[in-house]
Amino acid sequence: MGGHFSAPSSLSDALTAVAAGHRPVAGGTDLVVGTRQGKWTLPEDLVALDRIAELHGIVATDGGLRIGATTSHADLAADQAIRERWTAIADAASIVGSPATRHIGTLGGNLANASPAAETSGPLLCFEALVEVRSATGSRRIALADLFSGPGRTAIRQDEIIVAVELPELAGAGSCYVRLEFRRQMEIAVVGATAVVRLEGDIVREARIAITALAPTVRRIAAAESSLIGSDGGPAAAAEAGRLAAGAATPISDVRASLDYRRAMAAVVVRRAVTGAIARARGETLLIPASASTFGAS
Amino acid sequence: MVEFWHAQTFCAYLVARRRLRTCAILAPMTAIPPPALIRQDGRDKVTGSGRYAADLTVTGMLHGAFRVADVPHARIRRLDTTAARALPGVHAVITAADVPDHRYGAFLKDRTLFARDVVRWEGELIAAVAATTPEIAARAAALIDIDLEALPSVTDLELAARPDSPLVHDAWATYEADENLVRDRNLASRSTIVKGDAATAMAEADIVVKDRYVADGSHAVPIEPRAILAEWTGDHVTIWTSTQVPFAVRSGVAETLGLAQNQIRVIVPHLGGGFGAKCELGFEAQVAALSKAAGRAVKVVFSRREEFLLPDHRRERMIMELETGVRRDGTIVARRGHLIVDNGAYSMDEPFLGQLAAMFAVGPYRIPNIDITADTVYTNTQPSGSVRAPTGPTTCWALEQHHDVVAERLGLDPVEFRRRNLVHEGDTGPAGQVFERIGVLETLERAAAAVGWGKPLPEGEAIGVATGWWPSFPLASGAHLTINADGSGTIVTGAQECGTGAVMALPILAAEVLGMRPDQFRILYQDTDAGPYDSGASGSQTTFNNGRAVIAAATEVRDQLLELAANLLEANLADLELVDGMARVKGSSTASVSIADLASEASGAGLLLGRGSGLPPPTPAVNAASCVGRLGAESFAAPTFFTHAARVKVDRDTGVVRVLEIAAAHESGTIINPIGAAGQIYGGVAMGMGQALSEGIQLSADGRQRNAYLLDYKLQTVADMPPIHVDFVDAPSPTAGPKGLKGIAEPPNVPTPGAIANAIARALGTRIHELPMTPERIWGAMAANGES
Repeated sequence: MGGHFSAPSSLSDALTAVAAGHRPVAGGTDLVVGTRQGKWTLPEDLVALDRIAELHGIVATDGGLRIGATTSHADLAADQAIRERWTAIADAASIVGSPATRHIGTLGGNLANASPAAETSGPLLCFEALVEVRSATGSRRIALADLFSGPGRTAIRQDEIIVAVELPELAGAGSCYVRLEFRRQMEIAVVGATAVVRLEGDIVREARIAITALAPTVRRIAAAESSLIGSDGGPAAAAEAGRLAAGAATPISDVRASLDYRRAMAAVVVRRAVTGAIARARGETLLIPASASTFGAS
Repeated sequence: MVEFWHAQTFCAYLVARRRLRTCAILAPMTAIPPPALIRQDGRDKVTGSGRYAADLTVTGMLHGAFRVADVPHARIRRLDTTAARALPGVHAVITAADVPDHRYGAFLKDRTLFARDVVRWEGELIAAVAATTPEIAARAAALIDIDLEALPSVTDLELAARPDSPLVHDAWATYEADENLVRDRNLASRSTIVKGDAATAMAEADIVVKDRYVADGSHAVPIEPRAILAEWTGDHVTIWTSTQVPFAVRSGVAETLGLAQNQIRVIVPHLGGGFGAKCELGFEAQVAALSKAAGRAVKVVFSRREEFLLPDHRRERMIMELETGVRRDGTIVARRGHLIVDNGAYSMDEPFLGQLAAMFAVGPYRIPNIDITADTVYTNTQPSGSVRAPTGPTTCWALEQHHDVVAERLGLDPVEFRRRNLVHEGDTGPAGQVFERIGVLETLERAAAAVGWGKPLPEGEAIGVATGWWPSFPLASGAHLTINADGSGTIVTGAQECGTGAVMALPILAAEVLGMRPDQFRILYQDTDAGPYDSGASGSQTTFNNGRAVIAAATEVRDQLLELAANLLEANLADLELVDGMARVKGSSTASVSIADLASEASGAGLLLGRGSGLPPPTPAVNAASCVGRLGAESFAAPTFFTHAARVKVDRDTGVVRVLEIAAAHESGTIINPIGAAGQIYGGVAMGMGQALSEGIQLSADGRQRNAYLLDYKLQTVADMPPIHVDFVDAPSPTAGPKGLKGIAEPPNVPTPGAIANAIARALGTRIHELPMTPERIWGAMAANGES
């Protein structure tokens, strides 16, 4: 029986292991759960990243934030800067899985897993984040828009690991991530949407809209964005953005929902994300996570 | 109201034990009663020190794995285990050829331990492997070479019942069956509840309402996937297993493997929930046979996926057509109904459950003319079987929606409609039983009042109510009780603790008889070689029947103590009582002797030993000559009654429903342990909410499960739970259990889906006829109703 498991404290040791074909594992919330579910067999050789200090934490940079790859969803959701200036990321990170998932699952793992339903992907895409990957021989930056090549597939090579996400700031923007939720915890996106908007006065000057779980990868919808730009971001404009985004979606039918329902919900969820982002851009309070308020409670 | 009472009690306990300095929930400390009961198993379960079947290891133990059909219907052309046996580390491979050729089943003996010739559902066992590691066992199971010839799969419930349907069991007519079963081809059993002349009464009714409801199957989903460990010593086998019914497992293993019951010892370590799915013989006989073949102990631990796919206990799919005739004043004059119940590929307790469903289609209402048929039909899907209140919540969901439709046609308030038709003391039930003192009307009034029925609500919100009933099951049960030399007590019972706390609460009953405290007793339970027979954690029967046994055993010991005390105190037996750990002359504080001293005295002479069983109370007399398929559910012994009222909010754009508040009013006779009873209601509501909104087995066209994993079989989470107002209506019945108690484990999930359904319909103006009422189905119903 082969099988090698290491948990190095230095990044270079981890990169050496990855170069030798060992599979990196961070929180394990996809890798281990998927194994138990029979999606794949657990790789024989694993290298754990959780003891590498430099992969963890959030630091301010000139133009924004640098987020270590093994920063947990719970830490993202609790970070004051993210909550105030990249609010959609806090919306997303605070609804991943369950409290246990959020404390052990990491941002880098969420990206590397490349699920079209990943919560953090849409907000990072709209904020035009860069993913820094490193191998034993060097490092490079991949724009989030270029990261995903299909469900479960990324532009990351087998000898590379994600070390950080660089997050530029869009000054004055309001943002919002909304997910259709059948229950309040332990949920996976059946339909999700991100909106990031910047206003000048009452007019939308910049708009970024992404859909989640509605196409093979998370993606932005240019038509919806341009329809919103120049509008007042009111109910009619939000609905039109929703309609255009739904039209651009390529949903599937499966055990979670039918194609028709997903397409109809795309319009609703995009509309709500836009409305939430506009409200936040105006300085109005919309509690995090936005999904809880929009599908909400009492 | 006992809402929050248990939290307060627990807080008080923590404060008392110096674990907390203060407790924020508490009002003045002195107002809080001392904890009625600290569960004996509580610390083990909360700290993780408790051991479950999967945790156990014995010397030389092997690991087992099953090979299952993985197709819904096929003929086995070839089955070759050569490659599996040749794999290093494999100690045994067994198939149908290695176990007695015997068909078994509770009412209809239609199944075998392993498939013979034909597989009839995807989870049917074909072989079992024992190997040195779980991985080798799994690999060997996959190496078994099986050549299957596909047969047409019967999945559609209505088509299955038609004469031209392919047969699930070609040889159905040759199977041994209960003499009362009515069977024909894929019709595994038919039960009817008939009273008066429904056809004539329906024709003469002022208004007739007829509608149809369809429910998906659902799962029990115990958090502990089952595990079984079998070890032979000579010709005696010990089986550690996660079952709710150790004695049924013992008799089932004896029957299928041809053993005497005293050759089998069944022990259940802590059980991590069952909710009905761990009733009846599970996989114990196969693991025992595998262990025998391997000559070593063997343990099988199910994965979560296997826990979904392999058990023969899922909640049944149902199609329900209901028709009610009423007079203009709202009085029900006739009920007709046709229920089709999915039996699945094999029958365990399902024929009985079909008859129960027919009774639930009557409900606790005065109906003079009834004609209800429940047809339980074979399909090539997972077998159905008891899951908490089997058929109860599903049928109640349909019936209580149907009642709201009738009320609407009458222009009557739904609560008022029920008020006019619910049964009262002295009324006659469907098969002639006469109701004793019952509190059903009070449950309706109190639940409705608790959520503010009739008050104005915000946009998108509405309240619905549902009322129902559930029988008690008087059954044989036994217990032993001893007082040790130091005055401490030991209860030895065959009863099974499935998490409800029913066994944990038995000391309350013993302590009351003996003038002792509940915490002075230790319980030995769920070991068939230790405790006397009990039918298990099934049918909400533990306190009802084993409570009676414990009281009887304690009463024997009480008599022994009083006799000793009478000699010591030179007092008349009739003048003595047991109070506060003392035997004393009634009312006297000086003429007394402690139970500990009496126990010390007894330890050198006639020991303090009690045994108890007691006679189960009688089931009501019936006049059910016109009913067919009678299996014992045509009258309800000591029925319990309940109403839930649900306030919900519906998101019209998406169909997402949030339950905001539930009021649960239950008439369950006398409540013995308020913490435990309230806990059952919280859990029942949670389970009912799941069935209502998100839990449903999705089947492929050929009958395979499509969502057999927790991400897409959606249980409700703690975060989804609304405030639950618990209210008990006190109506002790003379034919109930000891102290006038009735069962409380199953009833709390019966009315929840119906109450939520009626609230959704009132919020939307559109009724949902499919269960679970998922967002997509609600959205679809609104779209069909003209909303975009």
